[in-house]
Amino acid sequence: MTLYEGEVGVSYSVQGLSMEDGLTRRLQALGLNEGTRVKILNRKKQGALILSVRGTRLAVGKHITDHIEVCAAQENSVKEKEAGD
Amino acid sequence: MAQKEAVQKEDRHVHVAFVGNPNCGKTTLFNAVTGAKLKVANWPGVTVEKFEGNIEYEGYELKLVDTPGIYSLSCYTIEEQVTRRCVQDDDIEVIVNVVDASSLERNLYLTLQLLELGKPVILALNMMDIVKERGLEIDLHRLPEMLGDIPVVPVSAAKRTGLDILLHAVVHHYVEGPKEDIMNYGPGIEDRLARLEDMMRSNYPSHSLTRWHAIKLLEDDEQVRREHPIEIREVADRSYEKEIIQKKYQYIEEIVEETLFHKEKKAAQTDRVDAVLTHPFWGVPVFLCIMAMVFFLTFAVGDFLKGGFEVALAGFSEAARMLLLRIHTADWLVSLVVDGIIAGVGGILTFLPNIFILFLALGILEDSGYMSRVAYVMDGIMGKVGLSGKAFLPMILGFGCTVPAIMATRALETEHDRKKVMVITPFMSCSARLPVYVLFSDMFFPENPMLPAFSMYVIGLVISILVALVMNRAEKGKVNDSLLIELPEYKRPNPRTIRTYVWNKLRDYLTKAGTTIFLASIAIWFVLNFGVTGMVGDTADSFGAAIGRFLVPVLAPAGLGLWQIVVALISGISAKEVVVSSFAVLFGVSNANSTAGMETIISNIRRFDPSFGPLNAFCLMLFVLLYVPCAATIGTIRKESGSLKFTLRLMAFQILFAWLVSVLVFQLGSLILG
Repeated sequence: MTLYEGEVGVSYSVQGLSMEDGLTRRLQALGLNEGTRVKILNRKKQGALILSVRGTRLAVGKHITDHIEVCAAQENSVKEKEAGD
Repeated sequence: MAQKEAVQKEDRHVHVAFVGNPNCGKTTLFNAVTGAKLKVANWPGVTVEKFEGNIEYEGYELKLVDTPGIYSLSCYTIEEQVTRRCVQDDDIEVIVNVVDASSLERNLYLTLQLLELGKPVILALNMMDIVKERGLEIDLHRLPEMLGDIPVVPVSAAKRTGLDILLHAVVHHYVEGPKEDIMNYGPGIEDRLARLEDMMRSNYPSHSLTRWHAIKLLEDDEQVRREHPIEIREVADRSYEKEIIQKKYQYIEEIVEETLFHKEKKAAQTDRVDAVLTHPFWGVPVFLCIMAMVFFLTFAVGDFLKGGFEVALAGFSEAARMLLLRIHTADWLVSLVVDGIIAGVGGILTFLPNIFILFLALGILEDSGYMSRVAYVMDGIMGKVGLSGKAFLPMILGFGCTVPAIMATRALETEHDRKKVMVITPFMSCSARLPVYVLFSDMFFPENPMLPAFSMYVIGLVISILVALVMNRAEKGKVNDSLLIELPEYKRPNPRTIRTYVWNKLRDYLTKAGTTIFLASIAIWFVLNFGVTGMVGDTADSFGAAIGRFLVPVLAPAGLGLWQIVVALISGISAKEVVVSSFAVLFGVSNANSTAGMETIISNIRRFDPSFGPLNAFCLMLFVLLYVPCAATIGTIRKESGSLKFTLRLMAFQILFAWLVSVLVFQLGSLILG
């Protein structure tokens, strides 16, 4: 599934980024890599999401979240990370 | 002791760069360290502001420079390029890396990149109070160990603690020199790096920072490849940037694992505030309410404070006239000083309280962390006109001043989006247009002056979005949905930061009053008091009147068919406040912004055009809102767009558009009002 299809309040694990190179690099520098855990904090009807990534919040548009492949994160490690959010 | 002295470096001038992520409190810390003695310049080649300060510490002359906030030392944005060029420069001897301790994980990424430069790095851990608030603890012994024994100094930029320890670390570390590398990228990458380092050394023997350049070459970095063209294909067949980034974050995860402890879990306060301010439905109405509040305060409180200024100005003007007459100054000079300069400049100064409140409110909104939420909240609406929510930030800045707003368009990703925002940002009512609104609303809408003035802000906002929409339709643009912006932690605005921000803006305003408006007032006085026959008794015979009359037929359909208004509008291109000072000079009023002054102006206008009423005044305000921005803005647009053709076309559009809208409103309004 893509991150865009995710639900508010749920954590996901990033599987891959498939977009323009420059944008990919910027996301990676912000800490969004394969295996990174991401939690959706908020979403708008039009598609922008607020994500919690490595203890910071990012507002990210649909074009980007649509091209981030994710899978559900494992429960136990989610808890650990959430404390850091 | 003597031995230690000998070891100490001869050069007692140390160049220090402050580097850190956006929103990490870097600038607050920089201001706290350097005090008020700041020097503002521009980075070479770009209009990004560069702040420098000198201080003396333990016998060392420290030259400190603040760099723009960045997330990474790549070169995708202008800020990144500027900061990177600065820290790469051999001049910079020590780097103070300011880190937001409450988001250590992300901040350390830049730290690891900085360490690769092989220069002394000092980690300033800021925002430790938030760390504590969230029930977190950082192991301050293990953290430096894992970063290669660099000094780690907890500081509080807001409370000004830890500053001495930080400066001591700078001096001490400068003497000691850099530490060893800490990153190991594993055999595959390290082998390549070793070969690239050898190539760098043989190709550029005098070059420092070889490992840094080797890493950048392996990342296929554009700038390094351009400046150090080496044939590397046999070493690196592709970019290894992805692997290098991932290795860094892997190491950061290890660091965080070992140094960050959760004592107790507390919900972050920011999330509770965000539940309201970034609510999917209420976000936009809340934002509009906040802006309405800002403008209400600007007008109401500003007007309340204005009284004192008026009395002082009237007294000063009268005293100046008496003094000049007593020392037998020539009549024309008295007229120039009192009717030209004091009327022109002084009238503008009485709006200082309004400007103060406006910038105070904008400063608080920015420092509290709300501004970036606006980008998220407005993303849906902006997306429909083909821009990302980020494009709204320059527009809000435009409420303060269009010049920094145009510069702020740099944060946008593409040239196309930047130009589009440059077209619509001047429609946002800047603080210089405020005096015009206040004056004409007070004169012609005495029962409810706030309404027409406030409507200018709404009309400007609506028009800018409509224009963007039309542009997007015309070029068959799509919905833009590639927003990417960090939402920082909400915090209590720092009084010191706000004070610096507001003072800088007020100083700009005062400087403008002392230079542009001063000169414009003199110029207007000359144009209005001299004609073909020399100095004239009646302004109707002046050069100004002649120029004005020439253009009267053009502006008459908009209800602005007075040569005085034409003169005021033309002179307003130097700075929008000059529209007001021109009226003061035109009608011989010492303070346009006083009850007596307003009555004089109204009766004078009515003398020439008895039908001039609220509708005409409204059209005048509308025209001032929409027509060409001030000279400073035009210059900035020219510089930032890099195209004279674009700038000229934009100006032509603005004049035509202002004319069309005000003619339309006046003609329709006249029909309806009969």
